[in-house]
Amino acid sequence: MSAARKRISPAYQNYLNTKSTVFKGLCIAFTAAILAVLAFVTFYLLQKGFTHISLSFFTELPIPPGMENAPGGMKNALIGTIILIALAGVVGIPLGMLAGIYLSEYSSNSWLGAPTRFISDVLTGVPSIVVGILGYELLVAPISANISYWMQFTWLTRKLLHLFPNGTFNGYAGAAALAFIMIPIVARTTEEMLRLVPHSYREASIALGATKARTILKVVVPAATGSLVTGIMLSIARIAGETAPLLFTALGSRLLTLDPANPFPSLTVQVFTYATGPFKEEQELAWAGMLILIGLVFILNLVVRLTIHSMQRNKLARA
Amino acid sequence: MTRPQLQPKINMSTDAQPTHAISDSAASGGDPRQFNRLQAIARGQAVPIETHSAIAGEQPVISVDHFNLFYGSKQALFDVSMDIPRGKVTSLIGPSGCGKSTLIRSVNRLNDLIDNVNITGSMRYRDVDIYGKLVNVIELRKSLGMVFQKPNPFPMSIFENVVYPLRIEGIRNRSKLEEICEKSLRGAALWDEVKDRLDENALGMSGGQQQRLCIARAVAADPEVLLMDEPCSALDPIATSKIEDLIQELKGEYSILIVTHNMQQASRASDYTAFMYLGRLIEYGPTIDVFTNPHLKETEDYITGRFG
Amino acid sequence: MSELSSNIPSLAPDGQRRNRSLILEHRGLSTDAIMAGLARTGAVCILLMLAALIIVLAITAWPAITTFGWKFLVGTQWRPNELPLIDAAGNIVYEDGEMVMSPPVFGALPVIYGTIVSSILAIGFAVPLSFGAALFLVRLCPKKLIGGISFLVEFLAAVPSIAYGMWGLFVLAPFLQRYVEPTLKSGLSWIPGVNAWLFVQTSTRTGESITSELPLTGRDMFCGGLVLAIMILPIITAISRDVLKSVPRAQIEGTLALGSTWWQSSFEMLRYSRSALFGAVMLGLARAAGETMAITMVIGNNNQINKSLFAPAQTMSSLLANEFAEASSEIHRAALTEVALILLLMSLIFNVVARRLVVGSNANTAAAH
Repeated sequence: MSAARKRISPAYQNYLNTKSTVFKGLCIAFTAAILAVLAFVTFYLLQKGFTHISLSFFTELPIPPGMENAPGGMKNALIGTIILIALAGVVGIPLGMLAGIYLSEYSSNSWLGAPTRFISDVLTGVPSIVVGILGYELLVAPISANISYWMQFTWLTRKLLHLFPNGTFNGYAGAAALAFIMIPIVARTTEEMLRLVPHSYREASIALGATKARTILKVVVPAATGSLVTGIMLSIARIAGETAPLLFTALGSRLLTLDPANPFPSLTVQVFTYATGPFKEEQELAWAGMLILIGLVFILNLVVRLTIHSMQRNKLARA
Repeated sequence: MTRPQLQPKINMSTDAQPTHAISDSAASGGDPRQFNRLQAIARGQAVPIETHSAIAGEQPVISVDHFNLFYGSKQALFDVSMDIPRGKVTSLIGPSGCGKSTLIRSVNRLNDLIDNVNITGSMRYRDVDIYGKLVNVIELRKSLGMVFQKPNPFPMSIFENVVYPLRIEGIRNRSKLEEICEKSLRGAALWDEVKDRLDENALGMSGGQQQRLCIARAVAADPEVLLMDEPCSALDPIATSKIEDLIQELKGEYSILIVTHNMQQASRASDYTAFMYLGRLIEYGPTIDVFTNPHLKETEDYITGRFG
Repeated sequence: MSELSSNIPSLAPDGQRRNRSLILEHRGLSTDAIMAGLARTGAVCILLMLAALIIVLAITAWPAITTFGWKFLVGTQWRPNELPLIDAAGNIVYEDGEMVMSPPVFGALPVIYGTIVSSILAIGFAVPLSFGAALFLVRLCPKKLIGGISFLVEFLAAVPSIAYGMWGLFVLAPFLQRYVEPTLKSGLSWIPGVNAWLFVQTSTRTGESITSELPLTGRDMFCGGLVLAIMILPIITAISRDVLKSVPRAQIEGTLALGSTWWQSSFEMLRYSRSALFGAVMLGLARAAGETMAITMVIGNNNQINKSLFAPAQTMSSLLANEFAEASSEIHRAALTEVALILLLMSLIFNVVARRLVVGSNANTAAAH
C-alpha cells in the first residue's frame, strides 16, 4: 500500500463514503436476513409441531391409515431412536475416547498421530448417506461373493461372518453407521479437551511415582470430565438428527421392535416416511415428530453451551 | 558392607585437564583463580569443578558422576559431578539457563517425559545407577519427591491430593489414609489451617497454602529426598518465609536439593551451595564458604551481582 | 537391605515405605502397556474406518466400474430396468420367439450435474450472506450481542436436515410454485433467450424433439439450491468469522491510518484472508454436495439434465436416498455404489483442500467441528 497520500477529490471521497455506508448496511441486512430465515423456519416448525402434538404421540404405536384412531403415535420410533443412540454410544464413545486419549497423550512421539488427527477431521465431512451404504454392505447385504471370499482369510473375519446378521435390514447396522459418524467427533473433542488440562498436573502425578496410565485415568480425564461430557453430548445431538445413514441399514418399522436384529424404527426415518407419504394425518404427525427432534437437539446444544459457559466462569474465578 | 566413602575422583585418563578436582585453595598446587573459566567455556573447553573439601566429610545420598545431558543435539549439562549430602539442604544457584532446573529434573528422571533427551554419565542413588536399564523408574520417583515452581495441586479435594501417593501404593484403608494425611499435613505445617476443610477443592487455597499442600503430598509418598525447583518463586514473602522455615524442619529427616535464583534464600536456607553456569558446575561447597569466601572469581562475581 | 537408612530416625509418615526396591521385577504386562495399547487401538480404528469405507465401496462398485467404464461419468441415461430392444424402425426385436431385452444402462451425468449445479447455486446464495454476517460479527456487532447471534447462527447448523427438508417441501416449494416462479416467468420471459433457457422443456419421444412449457412445481433445482444455501450458511459464517477475527490488527490499522472508509478496510481484510475464505467456501461446497435429506425432499426426483433451474432434478445423494433401498439387481446396486464412491471422493477432496487452506491461516477453530 503506497505511503504517499493521494489527493482524493471530494466527489470521489463522497462516493467512497457512500459506498462504504451501503456495504455496511448490506452486512447488517444480510445478518438480519440470516436471523430472519432462522426465526421464520424455527417458528413455522414449532407452530406446526405444537399444533399436532398430543399425548398419544408418545403413548401410541403407529396405526395404518383408514383404521380407527389412525395415525396413532410414534412411541416405537421414540424408543427405537433411544436404543439406536445407546447402541451406537456403547461402541462409539469408548473407541472415540480412546482415540482422543491417544491423540492427546501418546501421539507426540509416534508417526500415527498426525494421520489419525487428519483422517478424523476428514471423516467428519463424509456424507452420511455414504456411511449408510457402508453399513448396508457390511451388515445388511448378504455377504457378496467378493467380500466373503476375502473374509475367509482371518479368524476374526470368519467369526464375524457367522456372527452378524446379514440378509435383512437390522438395527445393528443402523447403530454401526451412527457409531461411524460418532467416533471421529468424540475423538477430536476428547483430544482438544484433554489438551486443555494443564501439563503441570501430569508432571506432578508422574513425579509422585504414578504410571502414565494412572495419570491419564485418575488425574487428566477426571480433570476434564465436564468438557468431555459436553463433547459426547454434541456427538449425540448430531446422530440423533441423522436420517440418511438409517435409510437402508435399519430401514424403519411401524412396529414396536426391541430386537435390533430386525428392521428397526427411528424417529428421523419415521418422520421422513410420513412427511413424504400421501396421507395427510401422517404428515401432521410428522410435524409433531419434527418438534420433538428439534427440541431434543436444542436442549442438548443448550446444555452444552451453558456447561461450557459455567466452566469458563469457574476457571476465571479461580485464576 | 562398608559405607561407600566419597573418593576423590581423579581422572585416570591421559587427558591433561582434570575434570573433577577437589581442592582447597591452600592445599592444591595452583591457584584456581588463575584459570579463567568463562573464557574456557567460550572456547568450548572442559572446565574443572571447584569442590570444597568439606563436601568429602558428608555422606552422599545422590552421587552425580560426569553427567551430560543433550536436548537433541544441543547440550544442556556438561560433565557435572557432585555428591549431594544426606540429611542436609543443598541449593543450586546460577543465572537463568545455567541448567539447574535441568539437573534437578534429571535426578527423578522427569526429563524422560521430553522427547529426544540423551544422557551420558551416571547418577547413583542407593547404590543403583538411576539411569540403569533395570531401574524401576516408578519406584525411584516415589523416593525422590519433587515440588515444582508453580504450585500444582490436583483439581481434587485437599484430602485426595495428599493421599494420592498412598492410593498409588494401593493403600485403601480409610483410617490409615487419614492418619498419614494428618501426619503429612502436620509435617508441612498446614494441618491447623485446613483440618476442618479437607474435603474442599484444593484450588481454593492461597498460593502459599497450595505449595505447602504440594509439599505435604510429596512427603506422603515417604521419599528420602525432596527435590525443590524454585518452590517459592511464585509466592509472596510471607509464604516464602513459611516455606523456608518448613525446609529447615524437614532437613535431617529428608535430604533436600533446592534450586533457587534468589541468593538470599540460598544463603539463609541451605547448608551447601552449588554454583552453576552455562550447564557446568563451577563451584560447590558449604554455603557459608561459598558466599563469604568463594574460591573462584566467577562465583564471587555472580554472588555480588556482577552478572546474571 | 541397605544399611544406609538404618541410622536415621524416622519421623516420616511411614518410615518403612522408604526402603523400596529400585530394581525392576518383570511383572508381565504393565498397566502402562495395556493403556497404550488400548489407546493405539482407538487410533488405528479411525484409520481402518476410512480404509474400510473406500475399500468396501470400491469392491461393491467394481462390477459397474468394469461394465461401464468412462461412459458411466458421461452417460445421461439412467435406466435400472431392462427394456425391450427397439430397432431403428421402432419395432421390438425378437429372437427365437422371445423379446430381446437391452440390459440396464447407467449414466451418472445427470446426478453429477445435479449435485454440482445445486451446490453452486447454494454457494451463490449463501456466500454473500455469510461474508456479510461475518463482517458484521467481527466489525460492527455490539459486544453484548456477539455471543447471542453466534449461538443462533450455530443453532441453525444443529437443526437436523430433515427439518429443512420438511420446511422446504411444505412451505418453500409451494411458495415458489405459487408466487415466485410465476412472477419470475412473467417478469423475465420477455428478455430474449431467457424463456428458452428457463421456462421450456424438451422431451424426446420416438426420436422427435417436442418443446413444451415447463410445468412449475416448486420442487426443482432452484428450491434445492435455496434449501442447501440455508443449510451451509452457518458453517461458512462461522469459519469466515474466525478467519476475519484472526486478521492481525496491524493490517486494519494500516489501512485506517491512510484514511480508508469502513468498506475499504473491510475489503482489505477480505482480500488478506482470501485463501482461508476460499477454504471456507469449499467446506460449504463439500457440505452442500453431501447433504441428503433436505435436498431429497425438494429436488423433484427427476433423473435428467435440464438446463432450466426450474425443472425437477436429481443429485447424487438424493438418487441414493430414493433408489438404494429398493435396488433391484446386483448391477443396479453396483452402479449406485459407484455414484456413492464418486460422491465420497468429491467430498473428501474438497474437505482436504479446504482444510489445508483454512488451517494454514491459523483460524481453524470452527473448522474442527
